[in-house]
Amino acid sequence: MAPAGSYEALQAAINAGAQSIYFGIEQLNMRARAANNFTIEDLRKIVAICKDKNVKAYLTLNTIMYDHDLTLLQTICKAAKEAGVAAVICSDIAAISYARSLGLEVHLSTQTNVTNIEAVKFYALYADVIVLARELTIQQIATICSEIKKQEIKGPGGELVQIEIFVHGALCVAVSGKCYMSLGTYNSSANRGACLQNCRRSYKIIDEETGDELVVDNKYIMSPKDLCTIGFIDKILEAGVSVLKIEGRGRAPEYVDMTVKTYREAVVSYYAGTYTPEKVEHWISELEKVFNRGFWHGGYYLGKKLGEWSGAYGSKATTEKVYLGKVRNYYQKTKVGEFVMEAGTMNVGDEIYIMGPTTGVVQTTVSSLMLNEKTVSVAAKGAVITIPIEEKIRENDQLYKIVERREGVKTA
Amino acid sequence: MPTIVHFRKNCIGCNSCVEHAPEHWKIAGQDGKSDLQGGEKKNEVFVKKIHATEREANERAARDCPVRIIKVFK
Repeated sequence: MAPAGSYEALQAAINAGAQSIYFGIEQLNMRARAANNFTIEDLRKIVAICKDKNVKAYLTLNTIMYDHDLTLLQTICKAAKEAGVAAVICSDIAAISYARSLGLEVHLSTQTNVTNIEAVKFYALYADVIVLARELTIQQIATICSEIKKQEIKGPGGELVQIEIFVHGALCVAVSGKCYMSLGTYNSSANRGACLQNCRRSYKIIDEETGDELVVDNKYIMSPKDLCTIGFIDKILEAGVSVLKIEGRGRAPEYVDMTVKTYREAVVSYYAGTYTPEKVEHWISELEKVFNRGFWHGGYYLGKKLGEWSGAYGSKATTEKVYLGKVRNYYQKTKVGEFVMEAGTMNVGDEIYIMGPTTGVVQTTVSSLMLNEKTVSVAAKGAVITIPIEEKIRENDQLYKIVERREGVKTA
Repeated sequence: MPTIVHFRKNCIGCNSCVEHAPEHWKIAGQDGKSDLQGGEKKNEVFVKKIHATEREANERAARDCPVRIIKVFK
């Protein structure tokens, strides 16, 4: 299950082989402060796109709710029902109860912090899928999964309750949903989708009485590294987890493309009996190319190896994208793209991304460059160039060059 | 005359402005976003002139807005 925080990311998820996506609209989702938040209008469009591609679309509706939100909550649920979303992901009882009253399938958000079988049993009265808290160990998850089978705990749909866990992406310093740091310091509530992430900054510890500063070898004392489970997908699947969820509705399309592609390959390899340490090593180096705060391989799932703090603000990705220009045309028959260079330079051999709301992400290598019908090896700002591109791209898609990331430079 | 400018579209309905200046702000029942009472729509924003004595409460509303969509100009 992939995050879709923009149309570009949505297409990237679908193209990379996600079986389901999740997205939020209006202000009742955990990314309410995102600049490109979707609206009710987008809801219908997103569900239609997903249905066309046979991908399930799940709507996040998982903030805490105030009385003044209830009308909007009802409007969103009705629109979700009408549009045919596969399920809504909720945590507030008001959302769970109203969605069920309309006959909408409910999935329980990780914000509910389910950590034991009794909680599963309780929420199974309403939810067909439960996203467990991220702070459980793999053994605890396995026990919950086997107890569901043993006790035959079924959801409203009549099937055994399915367990979903986060397999990749950001972790919280607090148990998800139990953090009030952003609210307490900036009146910006994480539980209303407005987390300012000030836990991600570096901090000093000063003894106020003496003015002495404690020596802290990593000043990012509240910023955990990102979760990465690619090295033990076998254990997760063997534990009985049904849905693998990737975090990151605030992330760029190339992150979605890379994480979905990589985790899908890992799962396919596992079932084919070809899941090897060599492949894991390769996958990790691939995942490191896109946004990450350094990886905590295993997270809480692999027991108590704690103290995995990010050590940096923002991303540690090994690559970054540099804007070059836009697509002017795509010649389907000859599979050639025409681009207008608006910045930088492009060389034959460069790795590039082409991104757009319908295209998603296309990654390729520049095999040849044509400028004014002549073959050239480099093109600069102002040039109109053509490059062979196998996959279909579209007018106004954006063109980026993938370069090694310079240390200390923040990326999106 | 101080002026309030409100970029309503990005409101997340936290209710802080209502707490600070209830005579100027009210959450709309329909979409859960805050309305600047008596505000005049100008393109994407709502604008309202207020009396100097009303400035302080609205400045607090602006200060505590988590998405920084309230501005008070002197």
